[in-house]
Amino acid sequence: MMNISKTLLRRGLPQANITSNILLSTATIDDKIEIPKRIPRGPTDILRALESTVGRDPTAAHYKYHDDPYLIPLSSSGKRIFAMAQEAGRKAAHWVRQEHADLFQHREADPVIEAFVPPMVYTEESEVAVADLEKLIEMRQVVDSAVVYRVLKEKNVEVAQELEQGLLELLCYQNCEDGVSEEFVEERWFRQASKGKEFVKKTWKDGDLAEQIFTKMTPKTPESYCAIIQGMSKYRQMDRAVQLFEEAQKSNIPLNTNTYNSLIQSVNMIKENFDMRWSLLADFLTQMKNSNLKPNLGTLNAILYALSFMGNPKRAKEYVLQTLAEFKNLGIEPSLGSWYYVILTFCKERGPVSTILHDIINHLEDKEHQIRDLKDTHFFVTAMEMARHHLNDVALARRIDKLLNYGDNYNLIGDSYKESVYFRHYFALLCDNLPLEEFMNDVYFKLVPHIYVPEVGIMAEVLNQVDVNGAVEYIPKLWSDLIVFDQSHRENLVDCILNTMVNNEQLVTPELTESFAKIAWDIYSRSINEEEGRVHRLNLTGDLLGKILILLVRQKDFEKACKVMDRLDKNQQTIAGVPKIEALALFVDLCIEEKVPSRGIDCIQYCTDCGFPEANSLAVRLHKELNLDEVFLERLTKVVGDVFSTS
Amino acid sequence: MSLVQIRNISLLSLKPQFSISRLLHTSSACQKSQSGRYRITAKRDFPLTYEMANPPHQIAHRKTWNSWNTSNLEGGLRSSETAIEDMFIRKFVTGTWHALFVSEIIIKRQHNIIRVAGIIRRSIGARKIYFLIGYTEELLSFWLQCPVKLELQTVADRSDVIFKYI
Repeated sequence: MMNISKTLLRRGLPQANITSNILLSTATIDDKIEIPKRIPRGPTDILRALESTVGRDPTAAHYKYHDDPYLIPLSSSGKRIFAMAQEAGRKAAHWVRQEHADLFQHREADPVIEAFVPPMVYTEESEVAVADLEKLIEMRQVVDSAVVYRVLKEKNVEVAQELEQGLLELLCYQNCEDGVSEEFVEERWFRQASKGKEFVKKTWKDGDLAEQIFTKMTPKTPESYCAIIQGMSKYRQMDRAVQLFEEAQKSNIPLNTNTYNSLIQSVNMIKENFDMRWSLLADFLTQMKNSNLKPNLGTLNAILYALSFMGNPKRAKEYVLQTLAEFKNLGIEPSLGSWYYVILTFCKERGPVSTILHDIINHLEDKEHQIRDLKDTHFFVTAMEMARHHLNDVALARRIDKLLNYGDNYNLIGDSYKESVYFRHYFALLCDNLPLEEFMNDVYFKLVPHIYVPEVGIMAEVLNQVDVNGAVEYIPKLWSDLIVFDQSHRENLVDCILNTMVNNEQLVTPELTESFAKIAWDIYSRSINEEEGRVHRLNLTGDLLGKILILLVRQKDFEKACKVMDRLDKNQQTIAGVPKIEALALFVDLCIEEKVPSRGIDCIQYCTDCGFPEANSLAVRLHKELNLDEVFLERLTKVVGDVFSTS
Repeated sequence: MSLVQIRNISLLSLKPQFSISRLLHTSSACQKSQSGRYRITAKRDFPLTYEMANPPHQIAHRKTWNSWNTSNLEGGLRSSETAIEDMFIRKFVTGTWHALFVSEIIIKRQHNIIRVAGIIRRSIGARKIYFLIGYTEELLSFWLQCPVKLELQTVADRSDVIFKYI
């Protein structure tokens, strides 16, 4: 500032005016420089940001498969087999390490990386301390912690109350057994979850370590009651759970919200009809209120789960809406699992059509969802199923798909079975409703085969659509897809494809005729070549062989047509049914063209054997076109009788 | 014969056989480099891959290294352990994949992961190849205590990697 004023004085007054103007003007702009708060960045945030720009690439297989043409799976069984084989290899490596743990004791990393160290094996004789039990409970190793606990008890080591409670909770949650380790991702992904949504069988292990700890525990704390009741409810040991609950009520032991949630969930197992179940549920809720317990998301989901198959759909729907409203007032946002139960209640198969799915999707659209309840993974599958069967709405299905692909929501698809069912419904819905070209370009070529491999039923629908639309140019690609997906032996699919090829003669170009003939020959050779160990083999009926014959004849492939004709002729006993007369007529025409009357006569013989009345006219035509000499004419007369008197 | 030579011979023949004496090299040296070079066979049908066909002096000209790591740079750590680990990896992988590798095994270390690459034949089914991939990756990661990734390329048969016959 001092320097400026000195130069100003030296230069004279006019500059001073400018400077004072500048000073005035800077004073009037109130620019408070706002420094924004520093956003803490994690070590992988840049990678995550980059990854969010890249969606799924439908032209490549999933990144878990090795990137080599020989190793990319193209059928649904292939995908499962390859992923599980790789996991089996990993399990084999784990086994080798377990067997020879003494060879793997070196530690290369500093600090030691626990994941690469062979796991401790705990037996009856191990030297264990309470700290070991603590660590095992933290690592969720159920069987090991049970062993360590037994050893400690035998040695009469004092185990703290909280530690025992922690162990009890772990045992109740896991029913005294280890689940599939989190390391084996593929096994979990391909695990076919039990289909029965309602009454799962009782699997609780009576008298096992959890109950033993509980009974031996003195005094019985409220937390232990909570743990054991929740465990028993989860594994459907309802008699004992209710008994313990009543015991706790009598002794005025306060229970927590989650315990009440687990009991509410099992209401349908305890009572038999709607009124009793609902009154029991209401009882539980009143008891919760009296104990001053606040309900949480688990309560909402438990009530909705119970209502979804409680019986009496009309009243259940009423109660569902009331419950949703109540919990909205409490400020608890329903999770995707809650919406799943709502859909189940409203969109029943044998019930009135409900458009509640539209409202649900409106509510959920354009938001990223997290998993907040185990049942959240059922939402997308059921929503797509309802969009297809219940509502038959393409726009809604598209919105559901968009929601699924928004942000990280794809994680909520669940496992491979749910994914395949989801895409099955999506595919079938679009196949039935979209114009075929749009369907093929936007959906079929995008999703198949890397994202979704259609099942037999869905392929049949696609082929039907192609047939109805006469879009024969897709047939070669669909046939090669059938071979790749290992569906080429299915009779209904082969029938459909042959029908399409035969019926749309006017639409084919010469290249298509050639490829159709190739496909027909391929079908034929697959049916006669019995490969080693092939369980599935297509047995061609007479009708199908006739269609193959037509296609070969259109391509004017006499040699192959003769082979097919021979097979028809020689295996009359084993082949079911007979070809249509048009096929045989076309074959005779080809024989005329190729000037091979003996073949023609054989064919006419076959016609008479089958009992076709047109055999006579065929014979007449054969004689007229080829002017048969005496030998042939005699043979022909023997076959059809004397029809040549007029010619 | 020179005097020196006569002296040497007399020393040799007159002295007892068990004495050791150091002698100078008096003929031309024959220390031809013969590592990594293959002799031409009479029938000219010995197959060579590109790697085998180029002798070691072509490294950094027509071929590159099989082992990539920073252990031999200034400040690089664990160079001997890395070399031993590489030998272990090569023996292990060649043994586990019975007669399947048709190229040398390339080992690259980046940060804490080890990438093992090579070309294999398609003589066993894809399912078995996946089993071996899972097994190899997991076992090597247990042994070397860091993530190991296999990057394989399959080739229809051996003749696809043969460069020339010698």
